Amino acid sequence: MLDKSDYREYVAKNAPRSPMLRSLVAAFVVGGLICCIGEGIKDAVSAIFPSMTEEDAGAWTTIILIFIGSFLTAIGVYDKIGRFAGGGSMIPITGFANSVVSPALEYNREGVFFGICAKMFVIAGPIIVFGVVAGILAGTVGLFV
Amino acid sequence: MKLGRQSFVSDRPVYLCSSYTIVGPKEGDGNFGELFDTVLKDDLWGERSYEKAESKMHREAIRGGICLAGRRLDEIDLMLAGDLLNELSASGLAMRYFKVPFAGLYNACSTFSEGILLGTALIDGGAANTVTCSTSSHFASAERQYRYPLELGNQRTPTSQWTVTGAGCSVLSSIRPTAEEDAVNRADFSEKMKSMRENCLECAKNEDSERKNGKGDEDAFPSTGMRWAERIKRKILKKLRPDSVADPVCDPNYKRSRVVRISGGTFGKVTDFGINDESNMGGAMAPAAADTLLAHLADTGRSVGDYDAIFTGDLGRFGSEAFEYIMKREGVTFPGNHLDCGALFYKPEQETFQGGSGAGCVNTVFNSYIVKRLESGEWKRVLVLATGALLNKDTPLQKETIPGVSHAFVAESEPL
Repeated sequence: MLDKSDYREYVAKNAPRSPMLRSLVAAFVVGGLICCIGEGIKDAVSAIFPSMTEEDAGAWTTIILIFIGSFLTAIGVYDKIGRFAGGGSMIPITGFANSVVSPALEYNREGVFFGICAKMFVIAGPIIVFGVVAGILAGTVGLFV
Repeated sequence: MKLGRQSFVSDRPVYLCSSYTIVGPKEGDGNFGELFDTVLKDDLWGERSYEKAESKMHREAIRGGICLAGRRLDEIDLMLAGDLLNELSASGLAMRYFKVPFAGLYNACSTFSEGILLGTALIDGGAANTVTCSTSSHFASAERQYRYPLELGNQRTPTSQWTVTGAGCSVLSSIRPTAEEDAVNRADFSEKMKSMRENCLECAKNEDSERKNGKGDEDAFPSTGMRWAERIKRKILKKLRPDSVADPVCDPNYKRSRVVRISGGTFGKVTDFGINDESNMGGAMAPAAADTLLAHLADTGRSVGDYDAIFTGDLGRFGSEAFEYIMKREGVTFPGNHLDCGALFYKPEQETFQGGSGAGCVNTVFNSYIVKRLESGEWKRVLVLATGALLNKDTPLQKETIPGVSHAFVAESEPL
């Protein structure tokens, strides 16, 4: 039979690949759009509550974006956006909300304790671990600098 | 009788008495949509989870097959069944409803042809007279087990496939079906299904569940304590969207002019060419299909031109190309008779990339499209090479490559 490495070469050469340009453009546009919406929310929050500091306005923007991401996940829209945009909708904070809410929805059937609570972070887990570790490192460095 | 290294031919005739398929809504919109017996309007089918829905599809498909064959449950000697869920849970849960011996099979997506081969061999050897071969898969339950949650906004790669939501059952028997029986069985189908459901309930009931869930509610019976909210939900669903929980049906006017006979086949070896991309299973399984086909041709002395069609299971579009490439390198070219169940399953606008896959893919295509073509006499002899990728979610993470396996069976038609 055909040599195995020959076959692997054939597969690597001929297997269909993701359309690079289309993926990049879609990710750029949608990711940029989400960030624009975030800026818009921040401006709106600052306009409604003029006494709010910029830091607080940023925190409220994050909360609102997370809510929107979770809500769109729950009504089954976010996966459609994600299918079109790929990284564009995965990288912003809404994508993080999506990666926590979607397993929570999925494992709802195994019950609250061993379903939702245990499985909620199966996808977001690495992000949280790296976030915490990076936080500790930065904090430790910051302590001495 | 054993033939060559891996093959056998059946000495006693083994007939395909009946075949029954149930598929989900997306599959109903696909290329074979009109050929399936039952197309569900809702892929949960009134159940609480996709796993339960898959199990329900599985047991209803088995019942449908048995009723179409005009058999009673005590005339079935053995049920060969398999699916893709962990520890064959869809088949296992479905089997609670039947007091019939059960042998669970797993060969990933090639489980169906494994079942057909074993069933044929058992009948041929005299160990059984009538067996059912059934498999099922469900997009949502497979996705959750092998990949990501449904609502996660990730992109599918162009080499990925779409797990078919479907279950099918073939009833194999040494007793030859007749046209008169067929007509009666099809006319009485819904009545037979109803009485078999009651029979199943009778043999599986226990007093505890009856007290909790009320009499005659089959869907509820073993899951201890269906909550009142669930029960109300199902009642509302039955009222408002009755077609989402509709019972399986069959086409009463379908008539076959020929009967399908399983005349033998070839058991495949596990073949691993070192592909480690779990989103490119077509590429991983193509060498297995080629290996089995070469063994089949060598054992039987036939050539690919002796078949009206050679169906691979779920190699997908790219996998089919790779399969034909390997066969060409081995000096075998197809005279246009190689088809792939997965690649043909969906329409291009359904965005499934490589096409369908899963244990239900080759099963539902065989039990609808291929069987109907054989029974109408359009095809006389077909080879079905179902292919399976033997991986689980953890093996690629542990840097294992993906082994493939493929079993082939020969279906021939003869006048009824």
